[in-house]
Amino acid sequence: MSASSESPGVEAQATLPEGVDLHARPAANFVRAAMKFSGPVWVGVGDREVDAKSLLSILALGAKGGTQLRLRAEGEQAGAAVTALADCVVNLR
Amino acid sequence: MVGIVVVSHSAELARGVVALAGQMAGPEVQIEAAGGGPNGGLGTNEPLVREAIARAQDGQGVAVLADLGSSILTVLLVLEDHEDGNTRLADAPLVEGAVAAAVMASAGGSLDQVLAAAQEARSVGKL
Repeated sequence: MSASSESPGVEAQATLPEGVDLHARPAANFVRAAMKFSGPVWVGVGDREVDAKSLLSILALGAKGGTQLRLRAEGEQAGAAVTALADCVVNLR
Repeated sequence: MVGIVVVSHSAELARGVVALAGQMAGPEVQIEAAGGGPNGGLGTNEPLVREAIARAQDGQGVAVLADLGSSILTVLLVLEDHEDGNTRLADAPLVEGAVAAAVMASAGGSLDQVLAAAQEARSVGKL
């Protein structure tokens, strides 16, 4: 997990635990974590990036366990948002 | 928390969608099934829909998901008596819409946000 700050957005990387796909309940838990922030947040894999508050978009990413996710946020809470989301990702079960 | 009602011609389908959405959303979201006709077979049952909406309503609003055809017409008929706008039909596919709506409700989303999450299923692909 690492974070870098560049105006106006903040990015971080987080890797899904082995064996935990970003589907079903893990995806729902991720959306609930993203919804705690009012500003825009995104999650990306490879060259795809989707709204981190959209369950259906996240399911369509099809991210498997062990995949590195790119987390990005904008707005006043951007730093806190990507930190919280990265923490959420690495603790998904 | 916004409640969810799943209306289907099939009682089994409605129950199954409620179970799936409930597993994703967790126990805090009130998700109610209104499936099947008056005689227990395939069909729609207006009193069942009314009762399910009443059970799902805690004041924060109710998003209704319905399968097709007369389910939609039945819901619209029932909603004529809910003119406050606090109970609304999502124009969305049943399974994807219900799951997305329930998860958005579990995150504390407003009725507008819950309906938007459900209706996103029309444009977001599966791949």
